[in-house]
Amino acid sequence: MLKTEGQNWIRNLKTRWISFYLIGTLAIAFGIALLLSVTGFYLLHLPAWIFAIIFTIVAAILLFSKPVWKITDFDVSRFLNNRYPELEESADLLLQNETELSMLQQLQRNKIENIIPNLSQPKEPVKRLYFGLSILVMALMISFGITKIPQISKTDSVAEETKNPVPAIKENIPAEISTFSATIIPPAYTRKGERKQKQFTIAAETGASINWKIETNIGIKKLRLIFNDKEIVPLKALNAAHTQWTFSKTINKSGFYQLDLDDKKSDLYQIEVIPDLPVTIKITQPKQHTTIDIGQPQKFNLHVSFTDDYGINDAFISATMASGKGEGVSFTEKKLPFNANFDNKRNLTLSKLIDLKSLGMKPGDELYFFIKAMDNHGQSSRSDVYFVSIVDTTELMSLAGMTNGVNLVPEYFRSERQIIIDTEKLLKEQSTLPAATFKTRSNDLGIDQKLLRLRYGQFLGEENETEIGGDHDDHDEHAEHKIEGEKFGDVSAIMDKYAHKHDIAEDATFFEPEMKAQLKAVLTEMWNAELRLRTHKPQEALPYEYKALRLLKDLQQKSRAYVAKTTVKVSALKPEKRLSGELDKITQPVQKMSFEQKEKRTASLKAALALLESRKTGKKFSGQDQFLLSETEKYMIGAAADHPSTYLNALTRLRRLGAANKPMLKEIDLVQQAIQKMINVELAKPQIQSAGPASALYQNYFNNLNKTNR
Amino acid sequence: MEFKYIAVLVGLVLLVFLLYKEIRRANRARLMWRILVNIIAVSCFVLLIVPIRYETHLKQNPDEIILFTDGTNPDSVSKLKGKKYALPSVDLKNEKAAILSDLSYFLKSNPNIRKLAIYGYGLNAPELEQLKGYQINFHPSPNPNGIIAANWPAKLKTTELLQVQGTYQNSGDESVKLFLKGLGKTVDSTVIEAKSNKAFSFKTAPKQTGKAVYELISLQKKDTLAKDPVPVQVGDQAPMKVLILASFPDFEYKFLKNWLYENQYPLAFRSQISKNKYAFNFLNLDSVNLNQINTSSLKKFDIMIIDEEELSAISPGEKSSINMAVNNGMGLLIKVAGSKALTTLSGKSNRYEVPLKGKTLNLILAEDHFKFNPLPLEQALFLKTKQNEQSVIIEASGKTIVNSTINGYGKILVSTLSSTYNWLLSGQKNDYATYWSKLLANTARKRHDIQSVNIIPQFPVVNQKTRIIADLATSDKVPTLKIDSFLLSPRQNMELPFQWDAFYWPKKSGWTNLQVNQTIESIYIYGKADWQALKNQEKLDGTHQFIKKLNTTEAKNKLADIVLEKEVSLWWFFAGFLLAAAFLWYEARILAVK
Repeated sequence: MLKTEGQNWIRNLKTRWISFYLIGTLAIAFGIALLLSVTGFYLLHLPAWIFAIIFTIVAAILLFSKPVWKITDFDVSRFLNNRYPELEESADLLLQNETELSMLQQLQRNKIENIIPNLSQPKEPVKRLYFGLSILVMALMISFGITKIPQISKTDSVAEETKNPVPAIKENIPAEISTFSATIIPPAYTRKGERKQKQFTIAAETGASINWKIETNIGIKKLRLIFNDKEIVPLKALNAAHTQWTFSKTINKSGFYQLDLDDKKSDLYQIEVIPDLPVTIKITQPKQHTTIDIGQPQKFNLHVSFTDDYGINDAFISATMASGKGEGVSFTEKKLPFNANFDNKRNLTLSKLIDLKSLGMKPGDELYFFIKAMDNHGQSSRSDVYFVSIVDTTELMSLAGMTNGVNLVPEYFRSERQIIIDTEKLLKEQSTLPAATFKTRSNDLGIDQKLLRLRYGQFLGEENETEIGGDHDDHDEHAEHKIEGEKFGDVSAIMDKYAHKHDIAEDATFFEPEMKAQLKAVLTEMWNAELRLRTHKPQEALPYEYKALRLLKDLQQKSRAYVAKTTVKVSALKPEKRLSGELDKITQPVQKMSFEQKEKRTASLKAALALLESRKTGKKFSGQDQFLLSETEKYMIGAAADHPSTYLNALTRLRRLGAANKPMLKEIDLVQQAIQKMINVELAKPQIQSAGPASALYQNYFNNLNKTNR
Repeated sequence: MEFKYIAVLVGLVLLVFLLYKEIRRANRARLMWRILVNIIAVSCFVLLIVPIRYETHLKQNPDEIILFTDGTNPDSVSKLKGKKYALPSVDLKNEKAAILSDLSYFLKSNPNIRKLAIYGYGLNAPELEQLKGYQINFHPSPNPNGIIAANWPAKLKTTELLQVQGTYQNSGDESVKLFLKGLGKTVDSTVIEAKSNKAFSFKTAPKQTGKAVYELISLQKKDTLAKDPVPVQVGDQAPMKVLILASFPDFEYKFLKNWLYENQYPLAFRSQISKNKYAFNFLNLDSVNLNQINTSSLKKFDIMIIDEEELSAISPGEKSSINMAVNNGMGLLIKVAGSKALTTLSGKSNRYEVPLKGKTLNLILAEDHFKFNPLPLEQALFLKTKQNEQSVIIEASGKTIVNSTINGYGKILVSTLSSTYNWLLSGQKNDYATYWSKLLANTARKRHDIQSVNIIPQFPVVNQKTRIIADLATSDKVPTLKIDSFLLSPRQNMELPFQWDAFYWPKKSGWTNLQVNQTIESIYIYGKADWQALKNQEKLDGTHQFIKKLNTTEAKNKLADIVLEKEVSLWWFFAGFLLAAAFLWYEARILAVK
């Protein structure tokens, strides 16, 4: 029918419009729902079926906000009239009944009917479809991205977990046990919460209490826990059916345990104790031995850092001051607190300024101190002892060292002391002296200091006047002099030409290198003092002078063995009587001992190693072998109680080996390894070397050889 | 000889007679034929009696055989032509070859074979012995991959180290990892690079007492190339008896005494406290009269430690008895402190004094370059090592601290080191133990075994002929040799009457008990596949060696003159005679009658 052609076209357009629109809307709804539910599922961990709900809700909202199915043919014709001017606003004519139309309308309708099939399809519905689909694609991509987020965060958490891994050991659990749990309640000092695990292998802090809850699937008469193979503890049944059991115990030592269900023993499970370490104390300042020289402030800065695994409770400085000398040394002890809040911190760095004067220390006194710290478990630890001493100038000035004993280099020491006395005197008189005199006297002292320095320089073999310890390059001069006075046949002159002689050799090598180094240090101090004196600053020169004197004193002490005077009178020896005593009544001491090796552990472990080795080849254990194995097992139980992680596995294997019919190579290997670990490192022992059988022929041969030699 | 000529003469007479009869016959038909046949008949008859021998020169090809031995590559020999034989152990895949279960039997039964072309790794020594006089062309296979030499002590004493040494030949393109595994764990390993021959040396302290089998495992990536057993026995033995004579008690002696005492060594210690007054210690030992040293009291000790002052202070009689004891095997360790020798015994090695720089003494064991931890000592006294002396302990720069000389059966060690106890004080027990173990073991009287057993070959294998050689202390009695309760019959060595040997074919691999008289020794019987590369290399080398020797001496001239005497089969003559006689009969009876 020709007349319906236009109508059909319009209808088609309508259905296309509606269907595309619906698909597009549904796609949008799908996309939004997908996004929401993926977020919910992966990030908020909601169940998967949430998607269905979200989708229906979103779709409903979208559809009802724009009820596209309500579009009528007239709506379409209106759209067409708007869109296509060719239709001359008469598209709706096509929809009306042909008979009801007037002539003109008919004409118009016929005209349009010819135009309509040639019209291009409107793009609006397709656009809507594409829009919807693109939103869907975007949603898909985003939700794919969201699914990756948990993985990224997981890798982070995995990295954290590996830092303190929970030992995931495969355990053989008796079939009778349906469920079980072990709750570890760490002691208060660790400030850790309790944790629950479904594993018999336990790693707990020292002093943690562990609570086992075991549920069996059948009633069991008695359930026992056996600790370290000796301590047997029966468990209490919680219900009448004997299926629920509980037990708790405080763990202080590593070891192992096993379950005993009506005399049926389970595997061995290890208990590992994580010990609490004491506080580690590190003193960064001052050095272990510190000397405070004159002129320096009598105080020092103390820098300490503490670390502990759970928390530091307290720390203080224990200081001992020694004053006086000789027999009159007195000690005073003091406890110096740190003015800090410890607050159970794990790491702490503290510093404290210690004023020696306020402690009542005088020059010549010494301070010994160490730092003691306690962690929150009550364990205490202490640092090394550090020494701080204040130099006593009066001691240096005393002549005590000079008056007795040999004096190698007396005058020089006196001179340095004289310079100090003079400097102090000058300083005292400074106010009464005119400036020019003061300067000259200071300068004079400087000259004195210089002379003294040069004299000491001689000890070091220094030749030049100006330099201290400087090198000399006047070797050629020696040669020149010699050439002038050379005489024919003068042996010593010729020798001199080739020898390198500076001084008398003894002068240069008079002191040990160590002493020389100290001498050099003295010279440096003197040089510094001289500089200050020459520049009219005697006050500044004084510390250097003191230091030089102190070093010299040390040198002096080093070069002698000092024994204080005693008053002992020895009677004169009579050499003719020496070693002529009668000894016939003196009995000769005879000592007899025999060492008994009480410990047979190593010997039986070694034998067990060889036994296992022979077992590898398929030899069966005899009764004696079984005894040796049980002996080995006994030793291994002891070892496993101390180090369950190392030996527990081997112990289980060893028990299995004893019962097995076939040699189990892997088990034997493991047990052998453990036994080798148990045998300590053996030190070498002298062993007699063996020679071949002593045949008379060899003996004859040797004797004949011996004869021919003679 | 005579019979031969008689037969010929008789034949000739017979022939003349027969010819005469034939010629004179009336019917002269076929005369020529008859004469001819008569001659044939008679000559055949004669030859039946007198066989013909002739000489032939050996031709090359027919009596050369090709022999395939282990390691033959089937692909490379498939194109060869000739008689192919193979030893039973050879795997030739598709190649056809006759299997030779016994080469020597085969060669004896085929005397015409003079030439052999051998392919593969060659033959072992006893088989090669059979091939003397043959011409041999050897076409060796490429060198075997694996351990081609290995050695280790089969018996160790407690705390001694097990040292496994050998050479690995790796001609492949990939590196090989070599492990020494024992008692459940890998104790040492090394890597052998591709295309290289590398010597390896593994060390470990076996901790077991008794028998154990270590394994040398060669691994290429994840493939195990070979797993070779290294059987080792570790045994305890009676400790050595030590006598210490000190001129005065000091820390060095005190620590040494305690160390020996705690290690359960029997020890007698005498130190002078006054003139002719001594303090005695008898530790782990019954008391002996040591006021006077004499030969009989010294016999009880394996080693004597003495300082030079004490040695010079004792009487000349005592000195000579010490000298005699050393001559008879006792060890003597003399500690010297001064630069001048005080006695002749201690004066054998020259000394010199050089102050060392530094305040510590770094010692090295001369034998295996073990480095000790430094001792806080200023050692200045050293020893000059003469030709007949051996340095035992040296200082880091090579100066000798302890050296040893042989004196008769025994050894004299001279030590200039005065205080080793510093090691113990600073906790280095290992150094102290190593030092004194080395010194005492080196010096002490050697203990003679009751017997020693040698096995040939080095790796006895199941079902292979094994020679067991036992050396005994006495030669007057036939020893009983039993292996796995199977009594062997020993044979005495002609030149060395105390040496006996016996042959045995082991039945199963693993540890086997060999009983010699009353004592039982354990020997290890290897599996067939163990140490394959080593055995192949040995065969290869042995065959090469054998051929080298053969070519230089006799093989060439022998080749030209191989002549064989052969007899023509009598059947030919019999047939000839029969045919000739048949013709004559037929001619006379049937043809002539017509």
